[in-house]
Amino acid sequence: MKNISDIKNRYYKSYNDILPNLPGLGLDWMKRLRDDAIKQFHQDGFPDKSVEEWNVNSFKGLTDTFYMTQQEDSYEIDYPSIEKKDAECLVRVIFHNGKIISIDHDELPKGVQVNSLKFFIKNNSDFLKEKIKPANEYSEARLSNIIDSRPQSIVALNAAFHEDGAIIHIDKNIEVPGYIELMHIGDYSENSMKHIRSVIFLDKGSKCEVIENIQGHKNNNTVFTSDVTDIHLSQGSSLSYNRFIRGNSKNIHVNNVHAQLDKGSEFICNSLINCDGQARNEVRINLLGEHAISNVNVLMMGKNKSLHETLTKVKHATKNTKSVQVIRTILDENSRGSFQGKIRVEEGADGTLAEMSGKSLLLSDQARVNAKPELEILADDVKCSHGVTVGTLSKEQLFYLQSRGIPEHEARKLLINSFSNTIISNFSNILIKRAENFILENYNEND
Amino acid sequence: MTIALEIKDLHVEVSNKKILKGLSLNIEHGEMAAIMGPNGAGKSTLASVLAGKEGYNVVSGSVKYLGKNLLDMPTDERAAAGVFLAFQYPVEIPGVATSTFVRTALNAQRRHRGEVELDAIEFLKLARARAKELEMSEDFFKREVNVGFSGGEKKRAEVFQMSMLSPILAILDETDSGLDIDALKIVAEGVNKLRSDKLCGIVITHYQRLLEYLKPDTIHILADGKIVKTGDKSLALVLEEKGYQGIIEAA
Repeated sequence: MKNISDIKNRYYKSYNDILPNLPGLGLDWMKRLRDDAIKQFHQDGFPDKSVEEWNVNSFKGLTDTFYMTQQEDSYEIDYPSIEKKDAECLVRVIFHNGKIISIDHDELPKGVQVNSLKFFIKNNSDFLKEKIKPANEYSEARLSNIIDSRPQSIVALNAAFHEDGAIIHIDKNIEVPGYIELMHIGDYSENSMKHIRSVIFLDKGSKCEVIENIQGHKNNNTVFTSDVTDIHLSQGSSLSYNRFIRGNSKNIHVNNVHAQLDKGSEFICNSLINCDGQARNEVRINLLGEHAISNVNVLMMGKNKSLHETLTKVKHATKNTKSVQVIRTILDENSRGSFQGKIRVEEGADGTLAEMSGKSLLLSDQARVNAKPELEILADDVKCSHGVTVGTLSKEQLFYLQSRGIPEHEARKLLINSFSNTIISNFSNILIKRAENFILENYNEND
Repeated sequence: MTIALEIKDLHVEVSNKKILKGLSLNIEHGEMAAIMGPNGAGKSTLASVLAGKEGYNVVSGSVKYLGKNLLDMPTDERAAAGVFLAFQYPVEIPGVATSTFVRTALNAQRRHRGEVELDAIEFLKLARARAKELEMSEDFFKREVNVGFSGGEKKRAEVFQMSMLSPILAILDETDSGLDIDALKIVAEGVNKLRSDKLCGIVITHYQRLLEYLKPDTIHILADGKIVKTGDKSLALVLEEKGYQGIIEAA
């Protein structure tokens, strides 16, 4: 195993070589943002087990391997294998190896902008400057007021090396007709890393539905992907943000969502995660305006030796805000999982309603899951609840089903589906459509 | 009449404790047999063993069902061969609609018997007809299996499943427990509607009341793991008068 600080230094040293290929260097603030970010990463390094948020499982190949971003730009893409976008999809952005290769859309209504980071750098960099904060602001301090909490160093690495991203900008009072799909495919010829930086901004009173469709890479090279998405919902706007995250056994996904909710806005964040490799899903939500509402639904499904982690941090910063989090984990074979969820209610944030529920289903004796719910309540008049359970398939239920003539494997499938149905029913239709087919596929294999 | 179920000298242990101690019982097609007995006599153990529940260790004896060794068959195969257990405590299955559950069960049984599966429309037609016969509202098709059902609803749902699966051997394990008199009547009527020359039943109960409605052909008193007395329905009246102890002592 290579020395961790050696890996850290290699990233630092490679930065100057890679820099000329990265977008936004013509902009002073962006160059500075990248420079500061790599310095910060060099200072902090990858999070080790001393960081509470990372102390449950070890991500193999993340901290002890050096990855390069892949430089060749025009890779042969097998277009026919990509299905056409369906009729309800307004815009589809396709990322290949972390870079946008196509933006496919019908005529866009006025006030709807969906384009690449590069396009915005060229045409509307002031908007980006406002939305992409310096890496040192992505610290835990942004969510809690604890002074000694650590910055997110993978976000810093992303800020230094990001190559592309999707920018969604919806004007005031626009209700986007149809959904926006961000599709990620890849086919790396060597071990690589990719960093994607996206921004979703909804102006006052607008409404939008987005799905990120993240597929496993074709070749069997280790690929470390960092996706950072900044979401800003203005007063009275509403976003349904859906992710379907898949990956092969060599994929390491780290996805960070930072959402800021103004007065009366609504954020729905649904994730279906099934990665054969390692996937980490971090969702941080700041409820800044009164009557802001957030709903987080996560379903993680692990098999083989996969690792799935979800970390949520929801901060109720003002009066009368509401958050609901529902996390479900199904683990088979030797897979590992963890859920860490934290709700923080600031002083004076009376009238807060917060619920968190994490349930895990273990299908094998070797599977392991950790769950850690936390509440930090500094206000007086709040209603908060959390519940975490870990269980296996119920023998009573299995016997009941079998006594009606249902064979054991079919009974197991029915019970697994019933466990996941409780969360899938919270998902929005575009994700359900994908999830249902997927779950059938997934659990038919065991027949 | 031919014998459908033949239990011979059955000895069963649960967690190394002897529960059934040489139980013998024959049931013919078309026969409704009531099994009565004090708490702890082994009534529910008998039901569980016949359905194939795990954790019941058959030490010796045999159970022949339609000429085959029942104890060799896995639970789902017993069901496909016509064995139905109406549970004393029907199990809740959140997230599964009752109609999905019953359709999955019915089609699994049909598949096992080499019959054509019912499609959604054929199934719904049958389910509607059966629900109507049992005077049940169709609302419960969509409800999750037994979730939030009242005691009476749970038992009626069991009878509905029974009518959908048309068993040959129906075992009603304390179907009357937790039911008020009206619910009891409805459930009993539901079972009576299913009676035929072919169907045979084992009705496990503590009380005479259910038997007033079900009118069993034979009554068997089970005490300390054995059948100690067999008779016709007049035996239930004697029991009412003398109590179990009186009958056991006389036997």
